Amino acid sequence: MKSALPQFEKTDAKLFATDEKHEHTHGSRIRQARRVLRRRARLFVGLTILCLFYLTAIFADFLAPYDYRVQSRGEPLAPPTAIHFRDHEGRLSVRPFIYARRLVDPLERRYEEQRVRAFPLELFARGYRHKLFGVWSTDRHLFGVRAVAQEASSGALEASSPPRLNLLGTDALGRDRLSRLLHASRFSLVVGPLGTICASLLGIILGCMAGYARSRLAEALLMRAADVMMSLPVLVLILAARAAFPLELPPMRAALLLISIFLAVGWAEMARLARGLVVALRRREFVLAAESIGLTQTRILFRHILPNALRPLVVQVTLMLPAFLLAETALSFLGVGLQEPEASWGNMLAAAADPTLLAQQPLVLLSPAFAIFLFVLGVRLLSDGLKSKDV
Amino acid sequence: MLKLIFGRLLQGLIVLLIVSALTFSLLAAAGGDALTALQSDPLVSEQTIKELRRTYGLDRPLHVRYLRWLADLVQGRMGQSFFYKAPVSTIVRSRLSNTLTLAVTALIFAWAIALALGAMAARRARGSLVDRLCSVVILLSASTPRIVLALIALALAVRTSLFNVGSSSISTQESAANSLARLLVPALVLSVPLIALFLAQVREGLRAALFEEFVQVARAKGLSERVVIFRHALRAALNPLITIFGYSLGGVVSGSVIVETVLGWPGLGQLSVIAVRNRDAPLLMGVVMVTATAVLAGNLAADILLRLNDPRLGEEERVSAKISNAEQRAHVPAGS
Repeated sequence: MKSALPQFEKTDAKLFATDEKHEHTHGSRIRQARRVLRRRARLFVGLTILCLFYLTAIFADFLAPYDYRVQSRGEPLAPPTAIHFRDHEGRLSVRPFIYARRLVDPLERRYEEQRVRAFPLELFARGYRHKLFGVWSTDRHLFGVRAVAQEASSGALEASSPPRLNLLGTDALGRDRLSRLLHASRFSLVVGPLGTICASLLGIILGCMAGYARSRLAEALLMRAADVMMSLPVLVLILAARAAFPLELPPMRAALLLISIFLAVGWAEMARLARGLVVALRRREFVLAAESIGLTQTRILFRHILPNALRPLVVQVTLMLPAFLLAETALSFLGVGLQEPEASWGNMLAAAADPTLLAQQPLVLLSPAFAIFLFVLGVRLLSDGLKSKDV
Repeated sequence: MLKLIFGRLLQGLIVLLIVSALTFSLLAAAGGDALTALQSDPLVSEQTIKELRRTYGLDRPLHVRYLRWLADLVQGRMGQSFFYKAPVSTIVRSRLSNTLTLAVTALIFAWAIALALGAMAARRARGSLVDRLCSVVILLSASTPRIVLALIALALAVRTSLFNVGSSSISTQESAANSLARLLVPALVLSVPLIALFLAQVREGLRAALFEEFVQVARAKGLSERVVIFRHALRAALNPLITIFGYSLGGVVSGSVIVETVLGWPGLGQLSVIAVRNRDAPLLMGVVMVTATAVLAGNLAADILLRLNDPRLGEEERVSAKISNAEQRAHVPAGS
């Protein structure tokens, strides 16, 4: 890109200024290689983060120990369950275990462990039934508390189900926060990216039309519209558009609505870039050559112009993605996106905006925020890696 | 210049008309108004609601209502808020000044940090410590959404009592230092993604400008490095910066919705959320119009600045300058 230029001048100047040319070429090669590696590392790290997020979303049911909607009214707003290796008598056990908890002070939300009986944890524990990939029905989960054997003979009337393991604590209705976080990634990771892709496609089509079909009026109108769209306060407009629909919507309709709103406001930037690229490429010799041998306009556009414009367009898509993801989060946060009991990062964060709660358990409440940060970081690393030409 | 201003004003008016018509019809299409909630109230008879509808003019067809709203707007009235039971214009006016204070402070923060860091990095070689620090700052501040930052700030505020956040209104009795402290944290949160946007552009623009001949001349004259950078090189690198400033305004207003809601700053962003939640159509119309006008005015100011800084620019070049740097600039999400 443009920005690489001054640097070469600088290294060149250094090269000519010293006698030991060989040494310096060597040094700068290493430096160059290091730079390439660093950019590749960005691409790699970014891709890895994104892959992990999507794998989490796909396997959310398997990874989550509990159904994200099931409430456990006995333990609202519980802190994360403590995992023990040493019991109250000081004996070590290889297998980690937890104790049952009892709410001793509902006002201060204080819990007390009941150390009479240890409940061991295990991998591939049994839990609620779910379908892996939508096909295999199974009740295994990655981890969980080992099911309690029926001990009717002991006389004591024990609860047949073991205590719940809440690694991130529970929310106000006693739902397992980790399970909600895992499931939330499903909604958040689909709506934002899908909206981005739809808006980008619309923008590319409009931009190509403006840049290649030579109707000056249409071009001017479209570009002014895009200019205006980019300078308006989008979130306020989205809020206004969202206000036109009932506040409570089923998840599918909410997702569709959000995607179409994103489509309506997100095309402008893409159209602007696509038009600029098409206008620049239209005057290049290979396009003139293609025109001179009589190819059709659509063929030239799709076979000659678009492939050459692909890289900046893809970079732009990765740049837009965080914006849409965050718009979804913001809307759910403000209570006009996805509604409870469904989970999204935004509506989980809405619970975290309560100052008294935030003072008590800041880290677990902010866990969706960390997820958002990590995902956006991943996308940004990816686009940084894609941007540089020498990958 | 006058032609530019008039053209822009006309265009802005058309945009405002379109935005208002769209918002108005969308809100009307939603069905139900602030009086719908009253229908379920057993104490209010069907007859009263009908009369109320008539007094507020809600029984008229859509275009009549819109035109009436428009006529009112020209006379400076924006109707009555159903939720606050007060004229929209008075509510919006006090909120607007709060949001403007917040936005301007945030912009000052962002520019100050971007200029300081960018100038330092541009003077040094690529890959130097400061340069790398800049890259890290850009990456981190661009990928930390405002919603995350605002919540972390809230958590810090309640945990450590280092600073205060939240106030239902900015009281006049409060000491200046105290209200400044209240302003500081929301403004910082609002400015963070902007830092990435500005810093990336300042660094690249300055670095390119420092290789120009006129900078060599300025150095040869024996000017101090500070004067060389801020008087000569920066002037040359200013055009894309002004363009970006114009485009960033919409993002600032969008961002302030989140920041104001989380950190309890009584501005327009918070008001728009209240209006949406309570289905207060007149209030929402007012907020949308005022924010859109403010942002368009900011854009006009940016255009005028651009022309003042570089009188060579005609309309066509300005547009192409925008395109070329739309590609380059570090991108900051609108809604964050």
